[in-house]
Amino acid sequence: MREITYREAITEAMAEEMRRDSKVVIMGEDVGDFGGLTGTTIGLIVEFGSDRVMDMPISECGFVGAAVGAALQGIRPIVELGLADVILVAMDQVVNTAAKMNYFYDGRSSVPAVFRIWTGFRRSGGPQQSQSNEAMFAHVPGLKVVMPSTPHDVKGLLKSAIRDNSPVIFCEPKGVYADKGPVPEEDYTVPLGEAKVAREGDDISVIALGAMVPKALAAADALAGERVSVEVVDPRTLRPLDGDALIASVRKTGRAVIVHEANTFGGFGGEIVALLADKAFHSLRAPIKRIGGKEAPVPVSPSMESAVVPGESNIVEALRELIAA
Amino acid sequence: MPLSVKDLKELYRIMLLIRRFEETAFEKALQGAYANYHGGMGQEANPAGVCHGLRRTDMTMITHRGLGVPIARGVSVKDIFAGLYAKEPSPTRGRIPVYHMAEPSLGVLGGTSMVGSVIPLAVGSALATRLAGRDDVTISFFGDGAVNRGDFHEGVNLACVRKLPIVFFCENNFYAKSTPLAATTAGGSIVARAKSYGIPGERIDGNDVVGVHETVQIAIARARTGEGPTLIECETYRWTPHSTAGDREFARTEEELAQWKAKCPVMRLEKRLLKERHMTEEEIRTVDEGIKQEVAEAVAFAEAAPYAPADAAYENIYA
Repeated sequence: MREITYREAITEAMAEEMRRDSKVVIMGEDVGDFGGLTGTTIGLIVEFGSDRVMDMPISECGFVGAAVGAALQGIRPIVELGLADVILVAMDQVVNTAAKMNYFYDGRSSVPAVFRIWTGFRRSGGPQQSQSNEAMFAHVPGLKVVMPSTPHDVKGLLKSAIRDNSPVIFCEPKGVYADKGPVPEEDYTVPLGEAKVAREGDDISVIALGAMVPKALAAADALAGERVSVEVVDPRTLRPLDGDALIASVRKTGRAVIVHEANTFGGFGGEIVALLADKAFHSLRAPIKRIGGKEAPVPVSPSMESAVVPGESNIVEALRELIAA
Repeated sequence: MPLSVKDLKELYRIMLLIRRFEETAFEKALQGAYANYHGGMGQEANPAGVCHGLRRTDMTMITHRGLGVPIARGVSVKDIFAGLYAKEPSPTRGRIPVYHMAEPSLGVLGGTSMVGSVIPLAVGSALATRLAGRDDVTISFFGDGAVNRGDFHEGVNLACVRKLPIVFFCENNFYAKSTPLAATTAGGSIVARAKSYGIPGERIDGNDVVGVHETVQIAIARARTGEGPTLIECETYRWTPHSTAGDREFARTEEELAQWKAKCPVMRLEKRLLKERHMTEEEIRTVDEGIKQEVAEAVAFAEAAPYAPADAAYENIYA
């Protein structure tokens, strides 16, 4: 199968959906001729025109609100926010409006919009350009939250998100953006709400989100040399969460490490811990471990940044600790 | 097109229906029948004048102030009272405050509790009609309190750069919640802001239903023919406090209220109808009695209706 990058898979998913359905439009800053901060809309304005690939003013409350208003009348906006930090400017329209409108309209209109956010660390982004804020959105009934980790999954999940009739927060970790992988050229979808076992194993489960999935796989390789069989599970969707898949894995292995880029306090990992404590308690042979960013804003300086960011070595360390326990 | 006698009578009927509804809705809230109501009494000429003559497919984005727009667009007072009481037969079975209700089939767009957040939503409605190739317009209702939200600027700016089919209709009742306009709004004029967006702005007497209707018709015609948005500042006054949840008055005086009550929009049209002999006192009484009965029946229906079962809370969270 041909291989393309995560970034290219996103562009391909949007282009295919825009060809399939004329109601799908893109709204965001610099998404037209410039091609978006993420580079994922490059070329789309040429094929679809400026009525469907709409450059927006730097006016997040305005255009996020307008996307919600348009979605309520059947338009299917893909809203590119760029940095995940930027969606916080429009939190009112996302949380108070988009998440609640299906309830308000009693199901007679809904908000089939996708809000694309670029999450996590990139070199020296600093405190306001490095956040992983997925847990804030996963907390809100009415929103769906997706965080794909591979080129294959991002194409299939973005297509599902675009076709979904509820608002979807689509988290794209910067750490996997340049990753290459096999992606079918034909139309396919990955359903929302289905976790994936990224690597099968028997001794310990690593439940990893987004950019931590490849790091967890690398840690699993390292542990294989020590005769420890590590299973890596990628939830892919945070809400609705495929709890059954996570429970099944931990019931099998009896040990669990949860890892995400976001800092741990109040992070999504806590939700998974609660689920496992409730449903897999009697299978546990060791305490559940959580690994995430340290409790600090993400600094610019490489020396400080690398200390705050979780990496493969943190996962390896936690795995060894749990196996020894 | 000038208003016919039939139009004037219909405007009167709608304003009177809104007035009788508002009186009862306010009174019942004060009695504790439901948690809260942000009355729109005194501002009836705005929903009536704006909504008269709209196509069913034209969209109206409502605010939390009063329920005149849904009534003017044809939502029954029975449904609305059931909503105020949060009872089972109301639009969302009682899940949301009825003053944010949506009725897409009648062109009523649902609001939000955040004052001013409705403006970008209305802009999105206008964008959707444009993308769908329809020549329908959207009317964005909001109050003077909303014009200091960034959402006002962001929404109006976006609509103007894309020349969307929308009318921004500001009901200026001179108080943002309980704080007077001068203490909250720089520049001394809302309509003056139109100039900075390069669109027409009109300041009008919001208690003159005929004037409201005629001004809005011009703005609608502009929007429909692709000439873009208009900002209308409509000066009016609410006769009741910001909400019944904290019904204290600080800045508003009895004298000011009395002055505005003397400019009652309903009485103003009633006097004209009588003077020009389009209606008799007897006919007006008959209309009023019919409306009072409609309102009383709606209240009785709402009071007798059951609450929805608790499970209804989990309906329609996702599409």
